[in-house]
Amino acid sequence: MSTNNMSDPRRPNKVLRYKPPPSECNPALDDPTPDYMDLLGMIFSMCGLMLKLKWCAWVAVYCSFISCANSRSSEDTKQMMSSFMLSISAVVMSYLQNSQPMTPPW
Amino acid sequence: MKVLHTFCIVLLVFGSVSEAKFDDFEDEEDIVEYDDNDFAEFEDVMEDSVTESPQRVITTEDDEDETTVELEGPDENQEGDFEDVDTQEGDTESEPYDDEEFEGYEDKPDTSSSKNKDPITIVDVPAHLQNSWESYYLEILMVTGLLAYIMNYIIGKNKNSRLAQAWFNTHRELLESNFTLVGDDGTNKEASSTGKLNQENEHIYNLWCSGRVCCEGMLIQLRFLKRQDLLNVLARMMRPVSDQVQIKVTMNDEDMDTYVFAVGTRKALVRLQKEMQDLSEFCSDKPKSGAKYGLPDSLAILSEMGEVTDGMMDTKMVHFLTHYADKIESVHFSDQFSGPKIMQEEGQPLKLPDTKRTLLFTFNVPGSGNTYPKDMEALLPLMNMVIYSIDKAKKFRLNREGKQKADKNRARVEENFLKLTHVQRQEAAQSRREEKKRAEKERIMNEEDPEKQRRLEEAALRREQKKLEKKQMKMKQIKVKAM
Repeated sequence: MSTNNMSDPRRPNKVLRYKPPPSECNPALDDPTPDYMDLLGMIFSMCGLMLKLKWCAWVAVYCSFISCANSRSSEDTKQMMSSFMLSISAVVMSYLQNSQPMTPPW
Repeated sequence: MKVLHTFCIVLLVFGSVSEAKFDDFEDEEDIVEYDDNDFAEFEDVMEDSVTESPQRVITTEDDEDETTVELEGPDENQEGDFEDVDTQEGDTESEPYDDEEFEGYEDKPDTSSSKNKDPITIVDVPAHLQNSWESYYLEILMVTGLLAYIMNYIIGKNKNSRLAQAWFNTHRELLESNFTLVGDDGTNKEASSTGKLNQENEHIYNLWCSGRVCCEGMLIQLRFLKRQDLLNVLARMMRPVSDQVQIKVTMNDEDMDTYVFAVGTRKALVRLQKEMQDLSEFCSDKPKSGAKYGLPDSLAILSEMGEVTDGMMDTKMVHFLTHYADKIESVHFSDQFSGPKIMQEEGQPLKLPDTKRTLLFTFNVPGSGNTYPKDMEALLPLMNMVIYSIDKAKKFRLNREGKQKADKNRARVEENFLKLTHVQRQEAAQSRREEKKRAEKERIMNEEDPEKQRRLEEAALRREQKKLEKKQMKMKQIKVKAM
């Protein structure tokens, strides 16, 4: 049909370069999960550090992991790394201040 | 007889022993007479005991026959002992063991026995005081959870990557025979085929193909499930979802006529009708059944006009749609495609969005989530359908009537849009004018030189008068024309 001997549908002179879709419509279409998880992770790590709640710090680690897993490759890795490091530091600081085992929040 | 003898002897022995005890007590009676001596005796004993360490040895009066040695705390039963002595002196004859003898000691035997009677309760050391690994069970649980997440991330990422590669390997030949450029990320200086997919995410892969008759280019997006995210994997256990392949073909303006048409699952069409700008404006009716054309019940049709449906539903297309109905989510042809409706804060956008002639296809990968690389081969006929649709869109032309209807529809939509935005556009223009005036006034006020100020004010007044005159002229002209 389209690839018989007579006519080759290919037209080298009509090649158009790939243009990534404009960033305006991207935020609406894209999944907001990595951004939310990033924010949640930061909030939990601040809570863990300020209120000395170990479970907050652990939840922050989980949030940053989820954010990393869902992130777009075009996104800045600095943002990801910073939230990850913040959550790890929250966990470490909680245990340095009080090395007793964690008590569940309920 | 002998038995009787022995029995009597035993009885005698017991009797003598008891008598001896009584004798003891009789002796004590004798000793009763010598109270002072007794007391003296016990005083000595007591003094000795006071000087001694807490342990105290008390001997009963009859050192000859019996000595009971008991250990006591200091000063505990001193007085009690004396009482015991007194009572011992009192009641001696009746019982072998005088209860009162042990009066002071009651507590001690009782306490010691009570200790034996009460169960020993072992209190658990609180967790925060223990130092064993077991007390950190929550931490171990958390770390295990994190490790599980990381493992799932690696496994999911690899699976998605393998699926994408399998898809590309299956379709490479067909694509390369149809397009000059297969694979481009837009960064290279020259337009050369990269021959591989662009990885946008761990679950989204893009492929841009270009260089063909009829179309500007084709963007294929492989939207896999988020297998790398454990939360998503768990959510999918509740609600199975399929991987999707989305294909967007951008047609040349001269190679496609003006119509809007969609076919797909009823659910998908209802959703698209709500979301997509063009479908909501041009296809206002509910999705109709395609049974008239031989389509299965699962598929429905949204069309701008009946002629388009008749033209689109030729034998080959119907064949494709019927055979692969389970894999087709939606097929959308439109010359007015501008993407989903944009919700702006101001209410309505001030100008119509740009439209492009586009063919959109959404296919579901078989397997409902449990996909294997070999399932990608099942999608190859669908790519054939895409190629066929491109050629068909070029060939299909509306007749005169259809064209008129289509043009009317488009004009109507534009008019509606302008009406809706008329008020807003007026307001926007008004606000712009006011801004200009305000800026000018400010400039005049800020002018320090009073002469300059006066001159600027006069110039502004003159300009306004001119504008008013112009308006009046226009009104007069209109009136004349009307007449």
